[in-house]
Amino acid sequence: MNRNLSRIIALSAGAIAIALPLFAGDYPLQVARNVMMYMALAITWDMLLRSGQISFGIAGLFGLGAYAGILGMIRGGMPAWLSIPFAAFVAGFAAFLIGFMILRLRAMYFSIVTLALGEIFRIIIHNLHDFTGGPEGIVIQQGVIFGGSSSKLYWLTLGGLAVAIAASYWFEHSKIHFALTAIRNNETSAKSSGIDIFKWLLVAFVVTSAIQGLLGGIFVQSYGFATPETVFSADFTLLPLAMALLGGVYSTVGPIFGAILLGLVAEWLKLKIPYGHLVVYGIIIILVILFMPNGLLGRIRQTTGKRAGRTA
Amino acid sequence: MLKIQGLECGYGRMKVIDGVSLEIGNESVGLFGPNGAGKTTLINAVMGMNKPWKGSIELDGTSIVGFETHVMARKGVALVPQERELFPGMSVEDNLRLGAVYIPHAKDSIQEQMEAMFALFPILKERRKQLAGTMSGGQQRMVAIARALMSKPKLLILDEPSLGLQPSIVAEVFDVLKELKKTVSILVTEQNVRESLKSIDRGYVLENGKIVLEDTAKGLETNPHVLKSYLGL
Repeated sequence: MNRNLSRIIALSAGAIAIALPLFAGDYPLQVARNVMMYMALAITWDMLLRSGQISFGIAGLFGLGAYAGILGMIRGGMPAWLSIPFAAFVAGFAAFLIGFMILRLRAMYFSIVTLALGEIFRIIIHNLHDFTGGPEGIVIQQGVIFGGSSSKLYWLTLGGLAVAIAASYWFEHSKIHFALTAIRNNETSAKSSGIDIFKWLLVAFVVTSAIQGLLGGIFVQSYGFATPETVFSADFTLLPLAMALLGGVYSTVGPIFGAILLGLVAEWLKLKIPYGHLVVYGIIIILVILFMPNGLLGRIRQTTGKRAGRTA
Repeated sequence: MLKIQGLECGYGRMKVIDGVSLEIGNESVGLFGPNGAGKTTLINAVMGMNKPWKGSIELDGTSIVGFETHVMARKGVALVPQERELFPGMSVEDNLRLGAVYIPHAKDSIQEQMEAMFALFPILKERRKQLAGTMSGGQQRMVAIARALMSKPKLLILDEPSLGLQPSIVAEVFDVLKELKKTVSILVTEQNVRESLKSIDRGYVLENGKIVLEDTAKGLETNPHVLKSYLGL
């Protein structure tokens, strides 16, 4: 696709996304907010995947951010707007500390540890009853951001998505792109080329975790409460992952595609088959993995004769 | 330039390198030995991939023991690992660029270096946009050498550059090394002693983790042990 055409499509999509609350009702806005939230998470998952590290810890860092935000507000007396960057900071800082311990791990060992991390965060929050509200969760009684206005909350979520897209674009078009791709391709050659593998993995892990935390902070502001079961839900790991796989990995556009398609299909299925939509959803994912291993974007590029990803 | 003294290292409890001392100045040095002699282990120790148990490794008079691999690369020691070890999903051009982007003394002259590499390996210029993983074995070896040279090293280490290549390509690779030794110090490990003797100044023979022989290329060529064990004469 010609670069100017891509730019026009991106700008038009951006303009439509910004203007949506002006002509859409509450229900479509709610659906759009969900899709954007998952889309942003899918992008951050993909950003770390570009280094070859498969994280199952999205829900853990998202939930950590969500609780950091809500506790910062309720227990720390922070204004609602400040609780969101605070959520990002806590998740990013936690990732920085944890990164020193787990970023020497590779492949499934890293994946399993990230999965366990989410569970550890959930159990800690679950058990700190007096501080976190325990299993019943914690509710923002007053001072929720924008007074709960659905259009403003939509724009807030869009802002979170914009941060994820901007970070992903930076990952794709800066020196870090080379470092992450090289690490994924061949670690021995990467370090022989002067790449400090640990440093770049840590940068990627901290940045993606901070954005996941930020999105958690936005989520609790949007719904006004947090319970361990809601914010640490496996959905926040599995759906973004499925969306990125469907759209095509190692790019910003792939997860965006995947999230729009799968998000809308999931919503439609929920209406059509309220008690069985997840089964159909699972079948779609299996079929995509079997027949389009490079995702939709990969298939499109294959058909148009371009190779998948800027550097596969 | 590189001075190794009394080096011992290995894996777990198994000692692979047992008291090796060698030196490389502004020259091309070969390190020969059979499979399992410890050639790659020795290189890995120099490159910071294996921690030495004992002994010293110095680069220009400074100890480099404990330095990580990426630091060694930035200090001017470039490695062409065994088995080519490319970035297969990247184009030839990106592979070369990656050799210099993270090296402070090379990152500002990438274009100029790339042109020099294309002059050295014209086939890479023709195939600059091709994915490195789709090239032939010999071409991939050229990409690996060119990528290492992009970092403007003072010492180029090649671990069995002829491994898995057809004889005509092996000769070509060693012709390039002969040319390169005019501008960069070289340490090359090989099992193909016959071809590599043509491109080196001096050589060591490593057997069971110990240096058993050290001589000039000419001396090695006529040494009875080398003739019998490595040249099949």
